[in-house]
Amino acid sequence: MMKLAVVEAKLLTREPGALFSLLIPLFILVVFGSSIEPGDTVLLPMALAIAVGMVGLYLLPTTLAAYRERGILRRLSATPVRPGNLLVVQLILQLVLAVTACGLLLAVAGTVLGATLPTGVPSAVLVFLLGTASMFAIGLLIAALAPNGRAANGIGVLLYFPMAYLAGLMQPKDQMPAMVARIGEYTPLGAFGQSMREVWAGGAPSPLLLGVLAAYALVVSIAAATFFRWE
Amino acid sequence: MAVIEVTDLRKSYADLNVLDGVSFSVEEGEIFGILGPNGTGKTTTVECVEGLRRPDGGSIRVLGLDPVKDARKVRELIGVQLQQTRLPEAIKVWEALDLYASFYDNPRDWRELLEEWGLADKRDARFGKLSGGQQQRLFIALALVGNPKVAFLDELTTGLDPQARRTTWELVKRVRASGVTVVLVSHFMDEVEELCDRVAVFNRGRVVAVDTPAGLVGGEHRMRFTLMAGDTGGMDGLEDLPEVVEVAREGNRVVVTGRGDFATAVTAHLARHHVLVGDLRIDKRTLDDAFAALTGRSFE
Repeated sequence: MMKLAVVEAKLLTREPGALFSLLIPLFILVVFGSSIEPGDTVLLPMALAIAVGMVGLYLLPTTLAAYRERGILRRLSATPVRPGNLLVVQLILQLVLAVTACGLLLAVAGTVLGATLPTGVPSAVLVFLLGTASMFAIGLLIAALAPNGRAANGIGVLLYFPMAYLAGLMQPKDQMPAMVARIGEYTPLGAFGQSMREVWAGGAPSPLLLGVLAAYALVVSIAAATFFRWE
Repeated sequence: MAVIEVTDLRKSYADLNVLDGVSFSVEEGEIFGILGPNGTGKTTTVECVEGLRRPDGGSIRVLGLDPVKDARKVRELIGVQLQQTRLPEAIKVWEALDLYASFYDNPRDWRELLEEWGLADKRDARFGKLSGGQQQRLFIALALVGNPKVAFLDELTTGLDPQARRTTWELVKRVRASGVTVVLVSHFMDEVEELCDRVAVFNRGRVVAVDTPAGLVGGEHRMRFTLMAGDTGGMDGLEDLPEVVEVAREGNRVVVTGRGDFATAVTAHLARHHVLVGDLRIDKRTLDDAFAALTGRSFE
């Protein structure tokens, strides 16, 4: 199990997608961060949501669907090790990647850009965990339904952009039609981004949005587990 | 001792009987072939034996264990090379071997396997950069890294060029020589004829014959020739040769049917009686003919 984790971690570092998930949000942060006013509470939560969304919707399903397509899960079931171990290892590694991406963003924003960091650390952690759980659940569902790695990649990208738009990650929410912005708040990425902004603004995240995130995480992972095929 | 015993194995998908009562047994130390055209249940059978699929009926024993109930123990004792499996493109050869070795209680030293399978200079190469033959050798090495008693090799040489196929055959013989029983799934007649001690011939979800390749081919061969000239009296007595079954003569054209090494006996007899013949031709039965006779259809 340990060796599996080490090898999978090495493979993840050789995966260009992993580097993109770290660099793209950072790039967005730095480009927009240079022109932003001090005390801004929107940009950093946005970058964090983008990072977690990329890992959950894009990297996780692509990796898992490719593993199934290549028969790697099936090959593993012919050894004394259960293929479920690989799934667990992947989830942990992708979580580590999401945490790393967010840590990098916070570090750069906190030092170079002098951005506000939230005071309510426990609520920030709670929002991060629930948001990540719901993103990963969607990623798992994509992995369960996609016939191969390329399809998973396509579905991930296809879902990512509308979700990012609805979540107000593509343009400021006050420039979006009110109705769309309202609906967007209840999409997984939207609820995640909105809760983040609330934490950054110094308040407590709305219990309703946290409930929405938890519900997504739960319902979608059950669906993913139902539809998942090992081969 | 039978290493694998399969009795009346049944499996169906959506009312389609993929396996319709398959039985055979594999003895210790042999290369046992599972032969048949694509879609006759070969791979399904082997996957049931490996414990990857759950049969609907019948019984399977692998080294006395049930592959479903004693799944973990069975997997510890078998090595598997599956059809159409790949590894992650970015994994290095040594990493794959080291990783798979860690799955087993009593693995072989993967460095030895690296040498044995001619992959030592590819140790640090990524899977995606290997040639088809190198990937295939890596898969066989991975099947052996757990120090198995039985190795399953499924469509081992599909997609390899003739030279690589020959090389792979030699390697399979080496696996058996090291004391590992080999189950070889194949749809290539020449491969089975070259490698297998015994073969189960599959057709439409059933085993239609289990025999040695020579036994399967067995039967009768034909020899044709034309009588040239002179004394054809020496033709008499040809029928009395023990290897000869039948002599048919039409004018100066002769067809002799016989078994085993009848051709040598016939030519010796003709020479002894100074019969001159021309256009001599021997039609040997092949495994293809045997298969057609067993199943009533041609192989490909």
